[in-house]
Amino acid sequence: MDRPITFREELRIAGRIASIRLRGQMAYRASFLLQIFSNFLINTAEILALFAMFYRFDTMGGWTLSEVALLHGISMVAFSIGDMLTIGMDNVAPQIRSGEFDRVLTRPLSSWMNAATSEFNLRHLGQLVQGVIILGFALSRVDIAWSIDKALVLALAMISGIALFMALFTVEAIFSFWTVNGVEAINAFTYGGSDLVQFPLHIYGRTLRFLFLYVIPAGFITYYPALYLLDKPDPLGMPDWFVLLGTPITVLFCLVTAWGWNQGIRHYRSTGS
Amino acid sequence: MSMISVRDLRKTFPIKRHRSGMKGSIASLFRPEYEGEFAAVKGISFEVARGEIVGYIGPNGAGKSTTIKMLTGILVPTSGDATVAGLVPWEKRKQLAQKIGVVFGQRTQLWWDLALIESLELLKHLYRVPEARFQENLATATELLGLGDFLQTPVRQLSLGQRMRGDLAASLLHDPEILYLDEPTIGLDIVAKAAIRDFLQTLNRERQTTVLLTTHDLDDIEQLCARIMVIDHGEVMFDGELNALKSRWGGRRQLIVDFASDPDADIGSISNGALEVTQIDGPRVTIAFDRDAISAPDVLGRAGAFGEVRDMSLQEPEIEDVIRRMYEGSVPIRT
Amino acid sequence: MRMYYELAKRSFQQQFAYRAATLAGLFTNSVFGVLLSSVYLALFWDQPANASVGGFTAAQTVTYTWIGQALIMPVIFWGWFLITNTIRDGTVVMDMLKPMDFFLYWYSRDLGRGAAQIITRAIPTLTIGSILFDLVWPESWQRWAAFLISVPFAITVSFCLRFMFNLWGFWMLDHRGISSLIIVMTGVFSGHLLPVSWYPPWAQNLINVLPFRSMLMTPVELWLGQVSIAQGLGMQVFWSLVMIGCCYVLLHYAERKVVVQGG
Repeated sequence: MDRPITFREELRIAGRIASIRLRGQMAYRASFLLQIFSNFLINTAEILALFAMFYRFDTMGGWTLSEVALLHGISMVAFSIGDMLTIGMDNVAPQIRSGEFDRVLTRPLSSWMNAATSEFNLRHLGQLVQGVIILGFALSRVDIAWSIDKALVLALAMISGIALFMALFTVEAIFSFWTVNGVEAINAFTYGGSDLVQFPLHIYGRTLRFLFLYVIPAGFITYYPALYLLDKPDPLGMPDWFVLLGTPITVLFCLVTAWGWNQGIRHYRSTGS
Repeated sequence: MSMISVRDLRKTFPIKRHRSGMKGSIASLFRPEYEGEFAAVKGISFEVARGEIVGYIGPNGAGKSTTIKMLTGILVPTSGDATVAGLVPWEKRKQLAQKIGVVFGQRTQLWWDLALIESLELLKHLYRVPEARFQENLATATELLGLGDFLQTPVRQLSLGQRMRGDLAASLLHDPEILYLDEPTIGLDIVAKAAIRDFLQTLNRERQTTVLLTTHDLDDIEQLCARIMVIDHGEVMFDGELNALKSRWGGRRQLIVDFASDPDADIGSISNGALEVTQIDGPRVTIAFDRDAISAPDVLGRAGAFGEVRDMSLQEPEIEDVIRRMYEGSVPIRT
Repeated sequence: MRMYYELAKRSFQQQFAYRAATLAGLFTNSVFGVLLSSVYLALFWDQPANASVGGFTAAQTVTYTWIGQALIMPVIFWGWFLITNTIRDGTVVMDMLKPMDFFLYWYSRDLGRGAAQIITRAIPTLTIGSILFDLVWPESWQRWAAFLISVPFAITVSFCLRFMFNLWGFWMLDHRGISSLIIVMTGVFSGHLLPVSWYPPWAQNLINVLPFRSMLMTPVELWLGQVSIAQGLGMQVFWSLVMIGCCYVLLHYAERKVVVQGG
């Protein structure tokens, strides 16, 4: 095949690879189910904490349980899908250390696609199911005057959220092109970010708010869409159209990430062997 | 037509300064300091024509892997030009990947948890190999490499030799024009080595596949490569035919003479510019000589003066010997 | 005894080699400390000033949060599979054949590691917390002392728990299920997820008869003065002894399995 590969072909190939990988894992059914179960258990603790807090308290920063659960639901769904689509990124740092990353670069897919799909599993299926349940719980309990624009805002928030978390996991991998030490600090932004935006943004101090709106636009994924859905005024005093900023800022974030990834590939030194 | 064309290719790596103390380590995280450069490849040039099998050899750290990595697009060179199958590797990495096969002896491109056949099918999708072509290549590889016995076995359960054969088959599914092999026979037994060498010869003969082979196994070179390139300290030390290398650096043949009893002790005195007694082991005496300066019967005649000769044998220079001498920098050295 | 001291000393020193990882870890602990403190403080917004919920005022909750973050590395609340790994690669058999006490071998190393991480992780984390928030400090030197003594016991109980679920590797091939279960139980029952007194009464009754709370809740209560020193430390000593006993019983069966089946 001399013709350069198209993006759609890459996607299709990635999908095929994922399904074969998945079939391989399902062959060990007990182990496969155990993995999903383990992940499910660990996320259960998070939900348990939410309900336990509201067992003792009525509100958090003025928001009720159902309203906070809405933030949880959006964040969990976006995080789990984003993570599932980029699980291979977890392998980049160890692959760079061992030199295995060479292999990623000798295949006829874009390096990002190849790295992201170097592994695929459904370990986050549990989290996704829980996120959907929490989201369902929240939507059934809060009073939302539904309209087309509200549905659109929610859908856009989900899609941007997935893209944002995919980019964040990529950022973690990008750092490992330069340093193999201390990359785990990025966890504060990935896992920390997804935890942080599960609560209303106005409860945080100025630094965290700034960081998670303008550096990592995670706040635009849950908080502003939730405000809009719930018809709440922004206690931080931002205008209404702020809710529309989430998608363009996420796109910008992804573009910067893509640029960083390419810089990382050029900088790759292939030292392991 | 040149399949691989390399002009003044250079790669240097900065060397990071290691700063001590907590403060130093924080600073290094954000603003690393460099204390110099390490030139892994210092401006090499060569051409490889279609259908050649070239042995690319040199000691560890000589720059072999760095060159191969630039030619596959894994590393971006510091300066210089290269085209592989008409493409600049680091600019058209994806397209090039479609035209090359890469086998790293110590690493596998197969998936540990999948059966060999599943891995191959995955690669079929990855390289967009048409089904008919895939079946054809699979059949050829299965026949020549004897994959049949372990196609259904998970890769992690394969022996090293089986895995290597699987890897080789995997790298050829998409009919690459060029095959890079990095230590393909390392750690294998004699049977597996022979199978792999036969396969490579067949491939090269029937499909005109160009092969660039790095190896420490000099038997690989003797049996596969008409041309070899020796690289050391990032520079090409030799590029030419194997025979030329032998006569240039390994001109000395060895005559091993067995006497009926221990020869006179002063047999060593026959050493001169053309020949040299390199070893005396009881009745067995080894004499190295320069093929251009003296003939074997002459050497035997001179040695015969020191005792009754019962048997003798003549040894051609071994490639290992030749390469070792090159590295040592080297005119004849007594061993 | 000398050998165990040397083992402890060596793993103590080893911890100081990972400087970049330490810095990264401190950063992560701090971010989560700020995050959780903000969340807890927000719960108190609609409460009257100086309200105490389940025995915790807002300031005490924040203090609890930072102690929790500080003790994550010394005490280890989640995955730890060093022994499981040696069971997998077979070196455990060699270790068991050496003329040493297998439990003490790992225990002394874990204490050395924990001690180092009190210096590299716990103290810096608490320092950062006290700069960013108003923490409540122990009100007497006896309380300070009681807290400091309680940390090695917290490490001991945690170690025994990890030791036991690592030894499961001798019987169960796939340990992921059981270890996730233990991790979740540890998070909930130790009080790492939320202060135990915020749970419903039935849950508290359960947690109070389990060893997990010695890992975090008891040290916090000793710091904040929510439990008498004698009772707090007494419970920790009791659980440490019981858990060590359980470890030896399990070890006995594990060793027999190795001897009989060769691992």
